[in-house]
Amino acid sequence: MINWCKVWVAGIAVMASGAVAVPVDYLREVKPLLTEHCYKCHSASQQKGDLRMDTAALMRKGGKNGASFIPAKSSESLLMQVIEGSHADIERMPYKKPPLTTVQIALLKAWIDQGAKAPADEKAESTKHWAFVPPQRAPEPEVKLSAWSRNAIDRFVLVRLEKEKIIPSPEADRVTLIRRLSLDLVGLPPSPAEVDSFVSDRSLNAYEKLVERLLASPHYGERWGRVWLDVARYADSNGYSIDAPRSIWKYRDWVISAFNRDLPYDQFVIEQLAGDLLPGATLEQRIATGFHRNTQINQEGGIDKEQFRIESIFDRVATTSTAFLGLTVGCAQCHDHKFDPITQREYYEFFAFFNNAEEPELSVATPEEVARAKDTDAKVVAYIAALSTKDAAIEAKAYAWEQSLTPAERQAQSEAVRQVFDTPLEQRKEPQRLALLAAFVDQAPENKKHQTTIAKLRATKPKITTTMVMQERAKPRETVLFIKGDFTRRGDLVTPDTLEALQPMARGTNAPTRLDLARWIVSRENPIAARVIVNRIWQQYFGKGLVETENDFGTQGLPPSHPELLDWLATELMAKNWSLKSLHRLIANSATYRQESRVRPDLAGLDANNKFLARQSRLRLDAELVRDTMLAASGLLNPAIGGPSVNPPQPDGVMSLGQVKRAWTVSAGGDRYRRGMYTFFYRATPHPALSVFDAPDAFSACTRRIRSNTPLQALTLLNDHAFVEFAQALAARVLKETPSDDAKRIEQAFRLCLSRKPTDNETRRLMDLVASQRKHFAAAPEEAKALAGQGNQNVEQAAWTIAARVLLNLDETITRE
Amino acid sequence: MNAEFQPNWLRQRTRRHFFNQCTMGLGSVALASLLDDRLLGVPSPATTNPFAPRASHFPAKAKNVIFLFMAGGPSQLELFDYKPKLIELNGQPIPQSFVEGKRFAFMGSSHGSKLLGTRRQFAQHGQGGTWVSDLFPYTATIVDEMTVVKSCATELFNHAPAKLFLNTGSGQFGRPSMGSWATYGLGSESQNLPGFVVLQSGPRGPRGGAVNWGSGFLPTTFQGVPFRGQGEPILNLTNPRGITAERQRETIAAVRDLNLGRLVETGDPEIATRVAAYEMAFRMQASAPELIDLAKESKATLDLYGVEPGKPSFAANCLLARRLVARGVRFVQLYHTNWDNHGGPGETLENDLPKVCKDVDQGCAALVKDLKAHGLLKDTLVIWGGEFGRTPMGENRTATGRNHHIDAFTTWFAGGGVKAGQVLGETDELGFGVVRDRAHVHDLHATILHLLGLDHKRLTFRFQGRDFRLTDVHGEVLKKMLL
Repeated sequence: MINWCKVWVAGIAVMASGAVAVPVDYLREVKPLLTEHCYKCHSASQQKGDLRMDTAALMRKGGKNGASFIPAKSSESLLMQVIEGSHADIERMPYKKPPLTTVQIALLKAWIDQGAKAPADEKAESTKHWAFVPPQRAPEPEVKLSAWSRNAIDRFVLVRLEKEKIIPSPEADRVTLIRRLSLDLVGLPPSPAEVDSFVSDRSLNAYEKLVERLLASPHYGERWGRVWLDVARYADSNGYSIDAPRSIWKYRDWVISAFNRDLPYDQFVIEQLAGDLLPGATLEQRIATGFHRNTQINQEGGIDKEQFRIESIFDRVATTSTAFLGLTVGCAQCHDHKFDPITQREYYEFFAFFNNAEEPELSVATPEEVARAKDTDAKVVAYIAALSTKDAAIEAKAYAWEQSLTPAERQAQSEAVRQVFDTPLEQRKEPQRLALLAAFVDQAPENKKHQTTIAKLRATKPKITTTMVMQERAKPRETVLFIKGDFTRRGDLVTPDTLEALQPMARGTNAPTRLDLARWIVSRENPIAARVIVNRIWQQYFGKGLVETENDFGTQGLPPSHPELLDWLATELMAKNWSLKSLHRLIANSATYRQESRVRPDLAGLDANNKFLARQSRLRLDAELVRDTMLAASGLLNPAIGGPSVNPPQPDGVMSLGQVKRAWTVSAGGDRYRRGMYTFFYRATPHPALSVFDAPDAFSACTRRIRSNTPLQALTLLNDHAFVEFAQALAARVLKETPSDDAKRIEQAFRLCLSRKPTDNETRRLMDLVASQRKHFAAAPEEAKALAGQGNQNVEQAAWTIAARVLLNLDETITRE
Repeated sequence: MNAEFQPNWLRQRTRRHFFNQCTMGLGSVALASLLDDRLLGVPSPATTNPFAPRASHFPAKAKNVIFLFMAGGPSQLELFDYKPKLIELNGQPIPQSFVEGKRFAFMGSSHGSKLLGTRRQFAQHGQGGTWVSDLFPYTATIVDEMTVVKSCATELFNHAPAKLFLNTGSGQFGRPSMGSWATYGLGSESQNLPGFVVLQSGPRGPRGGAVNWGSGFLPTTFQGVPFRGQGEPILNLTNPRGITAERQRETIAAVRDLNLGRLVETGDPEIATRVAAYEMAFRMQASAPELIDLAKESKATLDLYGVEPGKPSFAANCLLARRLVARGVRFVQLYHTNWDNHGGPGETLENDLPKVCKDVDQGCAALVKDLKAHGLLKDTLVIWGGEFGRTPMGENRTATGRNHHIDAFTTWFAGGGVKAGQVLGETDELGFGVVRDRAHVHDLHATILHLLGLDHKRLTFRFQGRDFRLTDVHGEVLKKMLL
């Protein structure tokens, strides 16, 4: 703090006499002033004008405009000229901020005139923000309550708790533990049999065995794959206003499989960013590059395509930095990052890595299927080509048809056909004439006969699954810096390069590619990548990360709550060859994770937000898991893994909210009951039961979901027909599988939803409910029939459907305790 | 099972002790409504209801907003911005000085590039002599309630991004819409309805769909709730088959009892919020049908709007909007399509623009008059406008049309602290650009928030390491618009 009294006296003295009465203390008076007003641009993180001001020596050395001051000559000192605003060329400082006060200016003047004295050993600011310094592996700390600790995580957590004099919470009971572990590791609740088996397992390593069983389950890949798909902004449609469906589910299958086979995280990143560039890239590695094809595609008429190609690269840059580096680079699109050491130039150098891709659709069909499809296409083309020899007038008819089209109809044609329209008739070449003919034959009502023939031909064509991938262009595009981020304002030419704040990139002789970028990201020298993924996984288990700003490890983010633990985990991940399953194993087995989640009144003042982890947290299930849990409880779940997206029922009218009304044909058979992650996701009109529970919108990378708690969620679980169907199925299941004893049935239904047994109070409340509903429905058979559907057990089925509906609506059912 | 493993040092709480200690309360939505007296007398501080009314930054002029969104970009040159010079130069090429350095939609195609004078008749109306064309006879009767801003400007000329820009201040997805910011800042006065409601009419939904009223990075609690034009106004409001109101009440009561048991067991305030959310859901099931039953309105009111009960229309949505703000809903947004008059079939200035004008004209005027009659206009800001305007040059097709224009278009405001009976801003003699009092979308946002008592620079939300605002780093309050 500045001694304001003294400053005032000094200022007055200076102003009054021009002489200096009181010696100015640099460290106590000058330096704090400079820290507040100058360091943001002229210190460790930024050096505008190549000037650093964080030591007097550095100021004297100066920047490109020369020394900041000349001792004893304040009027000739640049610093005084710029803060007074009297310099001819340099704007008044602080730049675009209010000027310093007269007293502050007087203080600096006095300090310079007194000789600008400063300690000789003054240290410059550390140049590195914590996240840009490689993680250091600290030794596991000594703790008093060492018996509580199960692994290194616990020691780091406990040492902090002991410092705060907080005792950790006890271990949760076994039923809570198996439900927690099952939901966290595979995203499904345990069956009552699995609960019984775990609770009665008296072996010392019962818990560890359970962790291993769940990690080996193929559903693990679904659960953690879905977490990654949030980051990848996965969706099944193109977005923007047209929002046409797309085929990229093979990428989703790849993600699930990558988790299941524990593909090391470094390889996981490399294959998604640049699988196509790996030597001898496999089909799977090319499919992985779908990661960056999850950008939107604008199919609106009249757009400037280049503009939206560039938008998609902006998104790729933003997603790459958010997903893997935990950095926000978006602001550098238009100007140098205000807070983090990322310049606009660096942004476009980063951009250049992604500016050289083609964006094809990759066929994943067998060669035989491809050959058959090609053969069919050739037959269709031959048929159409032959028409003009049979009917000399047909080309004239086609042209007349072209002329008859309304502007909207012209707009609706494929791009190839629109190009034909834009070419004057006499200049059209053979393929263009053929393209017009094909459009005419396909669409004009007068060609019904041909259309029938062609449809028959096409019916024999095998359906070729494609998936969207990245592919490098042979001839690189030029990349320029866009002034203010506006693609029409081209600035300097730039070449691909990484961010200077992180480690330098190993360079070969050729210009670096996406593959070099990917390898640079997961290089062991990268200080940030391992921390980011460790933190993201941690936050799934505890509700928030060790770094709470999981998407900003830069200077504006929050520092880690347990820095040594974060670093230890990051180094451990790398030491275990980037095995994510090892990391899961470590966290899931820790005593920290196993604690009860009960809110502790004793911590209300000390740690209300549970930063110190003296307990677990209750977490509302993710949208897909709300569905999955109820499917599992009701016995309807189809546990099939992977494949194309499906269309479970949704309320009427949802699809009409988008600009283009699209059909939603409810999937038949088992596809009606697939896990929520397979629900077809239209960006413009997402399934309401997903959106209402905060599934991300897939417009940009989502690194943490909101957990809202709204009346619309209540209406969904209460009244959405899909959820009523779950309640009916749960009721039927309990009536069928459990002997006709209300208490036993309540216990079974309770266990199917919540894993635990009901308390006496809960049993009594539900018994009362069933009894009153049974009585009611017996007197109201029409209502019973309406709720129960067909069958001769209407009253029982209806009464139990009410009870099942209560259970499916409980907060606890959709919560991981 | 649980009880056996209870650690004693955490189990020394009785239920009474818990409720005495518990400060998170049970939400301001009182639990007593479900008739069960079990919890009467339990204090319920309003800490968990996200819509609990919150104080504004300074005294507000407007409590509520009704935004009449004319999706597609209405032609200011056929409606409000009268340009005799453009009529005079009809059919002539554009003077080069007007188009240099500008970008237009459908660049490089063979669209019209000659000036197009309007064929509508214009007249001055009201005490301020506001110009309005013959397409808006009803609107012409309320000009003395409005500030007509002829100098609006935006940045994006394709529908979806431009709409997003007008709603969220950004053409990129992921930012919160105006209504979300307003309910985030102020909460809502309504206990029985969501704070931000969206109503739609016209042949299709607005381009971009739900992102236009999305909450972006704000909690989804603040997203607009799209009532539907027909059938259930809110999804899942109707009980399932076989569930009567009584069954529903008993179901929710049982859910509530079991949830409260768990609340006592865990102490997690989220359970209290969920109990309150079920209460609100139940109330909405009861309140929303009454809300949408327009048959209860007098014949005079129905005639004022031109509404037939049971038949969805823009006018019916206007009446619904009045009923919503009267019930304390903070932000109501109406979308009406289609104003995209390019000149093609269904999009002509000759035949189709008059139709869409007729769709909205009477409803808009009726809304302003009706709000005034109910004493609601002084507290309710009514806004009429689209995502951009249309070009002074015409598209020469069989009929005429105009292209998207971002440099000058018209929006009007009424009520809620807006100066009545004035025109703000002026465009050049052909309507290409603004020559006085430019009102950029960011300025409109700053002004709307200002009228709600919110400082657009202080209404922020920290996301990805930075404080975001509706106005990004721009926006000036249009002081001339204020009373």
